[in-house]
Amino acid sequence: MFDHTPSCAPRLSLLLAALVFCFIPFRLAVAGVSDWDEPAQQLARKIAAVTGPGAAALTVENRSSLSKKDTDAASGALRADLEAAGLRLVNPEQAAAFVAVSLSENAQFYLWIAEIRQGAGEAAVVMVSVARAEGVAFAHEAMPVTIRKTPLWAQEDRILDVAVLQESAAPTYMAVLDPEKVALYRMQNAKWQQEQVLAIAHVRPWSRDMRGRLIAAKDHLLDVYLPGVFCRSTTAMPLSLSCRDSDDPWPLVATNPVSFPAVGAPPASAPQLAAFYAATRNFFTGALAPGVGKLTTLGKFYSAAPLPREKYVLWLFAGTDGQTHFVDGVSDQAAKLGWGSDIASVKTLCSSGWQLLAAGAGSNDADSMRAYEFPDRDPVPVSAALDFPGEITALWTEGKGDTAIVVTRNRKMGDYEAFRLAMACGQ
Amino acid sequence: MKRFGWQWLAVSSLLLTASLAGAATRPLYGGTAHVAIREAPGSLDPADTAQADSFARRNVMALIFETLVTLDDGGRTRPALAISWQAAPGNQRWQFRLRPGIRFHDGSALTAEIAAASLRASNPSWNVLADGDSVVIERDAPDGDVPAELGLWRNAIVKRNAGKLSGTGPFHIEDWQTGKKLTLRAEENYWRGRAFVDAVEIEMGKNFHDQLIALELGKADLVEVASEQAHRVAMEGRDVESSQPVELVALTFMREAQSPEEKLLREALALGVERASIRSVLLQGAGQPTAGILPNWMSGYAFVFPAEADLPRARHQRELAKIVPNWTIGYDSNDSIEGLLAERIALNAKDAGLNLLPTKSAAAVLQMVRIPLASTDPWIALGGVAAVAGVAMPKINGTSVEDLYHAEQTILASRRMIPLFHLPASYAVSPAVKDWAPGADASWHLADAWLGTEKP
Repeated sequence: MFDHTPSCAPRLSLLLAALVFCFIPFRLAVAGVSDWDEPAQQLARKIAAVTGPGAAALTVENRSSLSKKDTDAASGALRADLEAAGLRLVNPEQAAAFVAVSLSENAQFYLWIAEIRQGAGEAAVVMVSVARAEGVAFAHEAMPVTIRKTPLWAQEDRILDVAVLQESAAPTYMAVLDPEKVALYRMQNAKWQQEQVLAIAHVRPWSRDMRGRLIAAKDHLLDVYLPGVFCRSTTAMPLSLSCRDSDDPWPLVATNPVSFPAVGAPPASAPQLAAFYAATRNFFTGALAPGVGKLTTLGKFYSAAPLPREKYVLWLFAGTDGQTHFVDGVSDQAAKLGWGSDIASVKTLCSSGWQLLAAGAGSNDADSMRAYEFPDRDPVPVSAALDFPGEITALWTEGKGDTAIVVTRNRKMGDYEAFRLAMACGQ
Repeated sequence: MKRFGWQWLAVSSLLLTASLAGAATRPLYGGTAHVAIREAPGSLDPADTAQADSFARRNVMALIFETLVTLDDGGRTRPALAISWQAAPGNQRWQFRLRPGIRFHDGSALTAEIAAASLRASNPSWNVLADGDSVVIERDAPDGDVPAELGLWRNAIVKRNAGKLSGTGPFHIEDWQTGKKLTLRAEENYWRGRAFVDAVEIEMGKNFHDQLIALELGKADLVEVASEQAHRVAMEGRDVESSQPVELVALTFMREAQSPEEKLLREALALGVERASIRSVLLQGAGQPTAGILPNWMSGYAFVFPAEADLPRARHQRELAKIVPNWTIGYDSNDSIEGLLAERIALNAKDAGLNLLPTKSAAAVLQMVRIPLASTDPWIALGGVAAVAGVAMPKINGTSVEDLYHAEQTILASRRMIPLFHLPASYAVSPAVKDWAPGADASWHLADAWLGTEKP
């Protein structure tokens, strides 16, 4: 008997394509098909088997989403391999065979298709396929404050949160939370290597639009908050994860007990607040622990962000009513700002020191992120909108307080990508 | 600080206004999604082969039932009610391990016995057994397609109990007025997470015109739109969403060609059809002209079969035949476009020197057919079309794209069918429906949609 990996059963593959597709789960690692030698050699051999050695005219047409650079590279490799296979590439008027190569694609593969005409007969058709993989675009814009996004991780399964557990100049150890596991990765030789996978035991089905949080702990590595479930890791390596049904409130602000080298803003002194999460839905119930001043219950909300003031903390809640609620401990004022459901605040060295990150709609159905400041109660945008290639599914402030984790679902590729968002001042 | 704020106030207003156009809002729970369709199925049983296959029927079933395996938009198999599967050497014996903890809407657990009985009902020729927590399928011959075939809706897992059907899908049946109206209620403990909407109401047997009126009056949230109307409906300001081209419009001959001359005449007809101008005028730009069976997004090589009309070559082929018979082309008079297409193709045939008479009779020499592609798996899709055309699926050993091409080429070489167009399935949705777009295969995925006007 042999196993079929359910999530990877390509039927239209050449062996190479299948290998590439099945054994590289981390899409960022597949920066794009940059080496065209193998498919070019395969196609050249197939073409030469039809034409035999001799004079042939070659045309190459790109019918796929390949860039001009890749098209030129593929075309160049194919020409070289055809000549190595014994064909002499000539002008059409001198040719005995006419080879029209189309660089095409389907849902799974790039296809290189050669239509070969010799004499008046029907064209012979030969083809090879190459697994599709696309790189990730990174973008930032020049504005008074610039949001910089750094890719951390990408995978097919929904990413709920990412916690960077160690870093020097860049993250070196991190945990990635998805609905079924916490995966720990360590940076080694400039690549993330999976160090351990901690399965999440749960009985009840997860809610749709599922959410979850990873919180670094003082006396052990991690706490994991999931709808109706709480998990706690052990301290010693190798780690294990103990999960139980729980309606404990989720911390709305993570405080990071791990000491990091100073790489930006000073550690944030974020206020502590937790909130109860509706286990079968996608929002917080509105019950707070301990509360904001006198207020311990608000309307249902999706996310919250503190903006410390000189004498109090202004909390912003993204309500399920589509409004942003400003809660100062005494009053709850609502405003329709047109923001999305996810907000988070970061403490930085820029401008007033605290910025609010809010999701909004970008171009072409993609979501975007913008930073705002609050001189008073009116939001003032301080950055350009940063577009993402799909919808934002999670936004959480990191433990250090000066950066945030955003997770997006790539509309084109369908997989999830986690980025760290940091503020760059005065650009 | 304050000065900074005032400096940015004007900019702020502009940017905020721009962002009000839409925001990354989390889905809201609640509300009832109202859907209208043309189909009026007499049964909801996926194994009922008396019911015509259609995208609407598949989508209705997908709300209630589930399959062991699903296929994604790229045709890759994905776990559903089965979490893993394996084949014995030779691909004749397949074992599918069931996902634990799944319950039918009647509260009973999904067992291997029930799943096996369900698959036996939909595949009488298969030997299907229960083995612990697994279902075992034994075929008479090697069959590497079994996982992909289990993704077909006729293979949905159904618990049949005294005429009552129970599924494991995101919605359970609350009320079923046969062929008229189906009311579905969200299953609270659905294993993939409860649907965002509380209920789905599907009005059946509504023609395109009535569906659009229902949308206009706010009585429907999701309606079907004829492909040739999609552009106009969108221009009128409605939100129209389309799948990939997943329906093949083709001419099929009722019998095999009886002579080489008849094959030449059939080829002449295929060469004479002006697909591009028909698409522009009659289909209003919808779909893609094709001379192949599989659409290019699925195969990647459809352009190898030239779809451009070649009248001189058509006439040449026609002149090679000594006798030109009088052919009739049948079409469905209830279809919004088939009659016009038949008339236009008859004119093209005349230009090529062929005699073609449109008729509503089902006993015509040629029949215009609309074939919803069965699957995003190109092999399964090709096999489905071959079956409709009455052509045996060629026996090809490999599974590469090139092998697929050779299989398709062999079917086309039989001259049993003339592909014309690939059409998408189009839908108009109300502004209240959020996060909705049809899948590549025209699937609704209504459990993922939510209604913006409802409170959670």
